[in-house]
Amino acid sequence: MSETAHGGNPYKIYFWTWVGLLFITVAMLLAEKFHMPRWFLLAFLLVFMALKAVVIGANFMHLKYEKTNLQVVVGVGLVVTTLILFFFITPEAAHVREKSTIPMTAPAAAPAHH
Amino acid sequence: MSHGTNAAVMEAHWGGGAAPFGASWQKTMMWIFIVTDGLLFSGLLCAYGFLRMATEAPWPDRTKVFSIGFIAFMTFVLISSSATMGSAVTASKLGDRKKTTLFLLATIVGAFTFLGCQAYEWTEIIHHGARLTTNPWGAPQFGASFFILTGFHGSHVVSGATILIITLIRHLMGKTPAQGVEMAGLYWHFVDLVWVFIFTLFYLV
Repeated sequence: MSETAHGGNPYKIYFWTWVGLLFITVAMLLAEKFHMPRWFLLAFLLVFMALKAVVIGANFMHLKYEKTNLQVVVGVGLVVTTLILFFFITPEAAHVREKSTIPMTAPAAAPAHH
Repeated sequence: MSHGTNAAVMEAHWGGGAAPFGASWQKTMMWIFIVTDGLLFSGLLCAYGFLRMATEAPWPDRTKVFSIGFIAFMTFVLISSSATMGSAVTASKLGDRKKTTLFLLATIVGAFTFLGCQAYEWTEIIHHGARLTTNPWGAPQFGASFFILTGFHGSHVVSGATILIITLIRHLMGKTPAQGVEMAGLYWHFVDLVWVFIFTLFYLV
């Protein structure tokens, strides 16, 4: 690991990472004031959220100094599994909402089997 | 597959070298723990997304429930404590005991400030009538999502603060090597990382 082997102030990276994270956080908080379309605001927040996570992982957790193997295990393990989980679960939410609109007192008849 | 190839596969040895991750076993295990603990929060956040999309009742307006400025302050505290923790790790590696102590202390102060803010936020929300299954603002699933997500994160902050205090005491006794501070730091940064997602997906979206 070489994060302390560089010349100059070794604490500088934490200060600038802190400044960067605060800047991103303020940008996310102010985004709503600009009355942008809902989908654009959502995309903006998700991109900045991912950026913050990468900055924390790389600079605070020193992942950028680690071997690619470790970076891939952490990145693929977390990101891909989360995406699979999300995209397999959430489509079911629409079915649940549809079913909840059926009045409880008059359940729909089961479809006839041919 | 021919018999020869099959035998070669059966006899093959691990080819990743002595240290495929180029890290000590302590750090490797810490990263594996972080990935698995991260997946716990992935599951919780996906469940929250599911509940929010599945509910017919309107989701409560976050600006009417929370003081976003207060939540932003909590975020500021956590980001600042991550910066001081990173500095503590570097100071420890450089053998600067005084700076390591100061930065660890600053991180612990940040941890307890965050916990105090969260206790205040929970008290306010409960005082207004929010419970796990009900709340006065809208969809009943909101209460469960809020208490479970922030509760799990808060429990990690408590664990982190405990680990930091133990690390500081052991550091003062001269018993914690630089790697011990680094492991404590990895956990603390993870707590900060999880908050990034909760802050965005629960408080801003």
